[in-house]
Amino acid sequence: MKLWFALLIPLLTASPASALVLSGEIRWQGEVEFAESVVIPAGASLTIAAHSRIRFAAGGLEVAGRLLAEQVEFSGRDWDGLVLKNCDATTRLRGVTVRGAKTGLLVQGGAPELVELTLRENQVGLELRGKAAGSLRASHFADNAKVGLFVKDESTTRILDCRFDGNGKFGAYLYRARPDEFAGNRFAGNGTGLMIAYHGSDPLVAGNLFVDNETAIQVDRAARPELRGNRLLGNRTGIHLYRRADPLVTGNLLAGNQVAILIAYSSYPQIVSNDFRDNPLAIRLEYQSSAWEQTKGAAARSSELATRGAFGGQGQRTVGEEQRRAQNLEGLVVATGNWWGEAGTRELESAGFAGNPAFIHDGRDQPTFHEGGADYPLDRVRFEPWSRTPLTELLP
Amino acid sequence: MDNDRMQMRHTLLPLLLALLLALAACTPDGDGGLQGQLLFQDRPLGGVQVEVYLKADKDRSVQPFAVGSSDDQGRYRVSLPKGDYFVIGKKRDTTSDGRTRMLMAESPGNPHSVASGLTVVPSFNLREMGRQGGLVAEAGTGLAGQVTHAGEPVARAYVYLYTQSLSGLMGPSYGEAVQTGPDGRFRLELPAGRYYLVARKRAAGGRSGELSAGDLNSPYPGNPVELQRGEWRELGEFPLAEIDAERHAERRADGTFSATPTSVSGRIVDAHDQPVAGIHVFAYLDSRMVGKPVYISAPSAADGSFVLHLTDGGIYYIGARSAYGGPLEPGEWVGTYDGRPDHGFEVSADSRQSLGTVTVREVW
Repeated sequence: MKLWFALLIPLLTASPASALVLSGEIRWQGEVEFAESVVIPAGASLTIAAHSRIRFAAGGLEVAGRLLAEQVEFSGRDWDGLVLKNCDATTRLRGVTVRGAKTGLLVQGGAPELVELTLRENQVGLELRGKAAGSLRASHFADNAKVGLFVKDESTTRILDCRFDGNGKFGAYLYRARPDEFAGNRFAGNGTGLMIAYHGSDPLVAGNLFVDNETAIQVDRAARPELRGNRLLGNRTGIHLYRRADPLVTGNLLAGNQVAILIAYSSYPQIVSNDFRDNPLAIRLEYQSSAWEQTKGAAARSSELATRGAFGGQGQRTVGEEQRRAQNLEGLVVATGNWWGEAGTRELESAGFAGNPAFIHDGRDQPTFHEGGADYPLDRVRFEPWSRTPLTELLP
Repeated sequence: MDNDRMQMRHTLLPLLLALLLALAACTPDGDGGLQGQLLFQDRPLGGVQVEVYLKADKDRSVQPFAVGSSDDQGRYRVSLPKGDYFVIGKKRDTTSDGRTRMLMAESPGNPHSVASGLTVVPSFNLREMGRQGGLVAEAGTGLAGQVTHAGEPVARAYVYLYTQSLSGLMGPSYGEAVQTGPDGRFRLELPAGRYYLVARKRAAGGRSGELSAGDLNSPYPGNPVELQRGEWRELGEFPLAEIDAERHAERRADGTFSATPTSVSGRIVDAHDQPVAGIHVFAYLDSRMVGKPVYISAPSAADGSFVLHLTDGGIYYIGARSAYGGPLEPGEWVGTYDGRPDHGFEVSADSRQSLGTVTVREVW
């Protein structure tokens, strides 16, 4: 272990369990290198001086006490990362960079203050779990192999003004979590910018920007967020609603996406008062049928509920069919009061309510689809009434 | 437009296939299951969580095997493979006067056998816990105390009260759990009885989950506590001890991961045959592979290799996952030994055998 740092009131206990347990008031400064885990237990405090560089050849840093770090870089190769266990708001990380870890920063409960972090080239950049609270602001998640930001376990951390660039699978993933705020964030060049999945994931996602992602936002498996006032520009798919996803989609600008909204498998959103502009397809339905839902939806979900724990695919799910089943079985997807762009509006004005808009692919274009040995009617989109003027004032 | 649609087809085809595969993987054996109706005060009760277990009450320290819920008419249906099951109904709600209550009951006919088709569970009434079923506090009866560590009060620790010690005072079978106040004090209003107390404070703050080094944990030194009707017992100081990292590691090594004459080894790989590190291998005696496994390996090494130590020969059903336990979450690795369709592997006593590779996949 190479150490060039000052320890104030230090008490080091080398543990055979491959962890250094430090107590008291500890201060690190300069370049510090470890080859084992370091634990700051409850009651202890670690302060790291600005511009310090902390490197882990193995293990990671676990803090159950207090951590103060500003303009500090943590790095390593496939190391365990930082863990904050139930740290309150007196734990503050500002301008901290974490790279090369399995999970760069894991926040288990508590409400630490996280500002201007950079999570780069980790497997997972930052994971918030255990009903974590507090705030995460102006941070940058880049080139993390799997997920930039993972929010789980009913965590309510406010997530504001962050950037998510080039993360492999997901820029951010909200799993059974509802951040108090999720706004002002920018997602660019991610596999999926924002994934919101599973029942219990119903946050308000407002005022974010999504550019050049494969999929900007995916809502999946009975998640019910509200997507309001976001700009989705130049993505392959703007919003992908999949497997009983019923969000409220309102006040958004969807422009230049190959498909603005893709809807599949018993998803019945409310798509109201949005602007659609220059999308080759504004809405596309695939495998979307209220008849399929009536015939097979409950059985499919029942099978999921009754499977055999982790090794059967799903385990310990506590949401029942009553909470997951579709309430709307009229064969209609509601998309009313939207502005469909200048060309789209001209087409609608010309063809009227009975028309078949070219920018919507639904049961008017493809009456049925084949699945599991049977044909099912493809739902239709209810697009009237429509707005004759733009609604959002969200400029690209 | 056509090119775009072609591209979309190419994008969506794998998604469709993935969904179909997932649905196929989730299909239980045949169309068997349980159905029934839940009541409260002889009226149908909707929104009840129906939990299905494999074991009787005294052994039930695991998550349910399957979960369903009742509809507005109190009716429920849960698809299950063949076997015997224990059914419990639970519902937490709020009364018209704003009081939160817990309704709960076990099916009086437990266990129920599922063969082929749906087995009807006779209707049964839920009871309000704390009134008809569980720990009904009696006037002027209860326990109080102060949780401490190193002589200092411990705030927000959990004190768990068990009515029996069969579970080793672990797991969710406790009768009550309360959290200490800022001064470390707690108070439990109870009926007369014989109780076991344990207190824990996890650094991560949770009410449940595996304890870690640095967490605080102790049973009450005066267990069991006999409480008479009308007796209010002040227990005084309830000291907690910190879980020492070294001893914690030793205990784990002495227990689950300790070497034995019988073992199976192998290698964990992904779909591209690349080694996956950090994966636990689980051995079950039951082919349904739910609940607590009987043996768990240490995490797989960087080359994917693992050794699973067993205390006896026999047929074990083998699974692997990255998490030590708990509900399956997105981002986890999970897989099964697939040398046999039922994931079983026969091990001879006092032998060291290789089961080859176990392929895991990431769940999203």
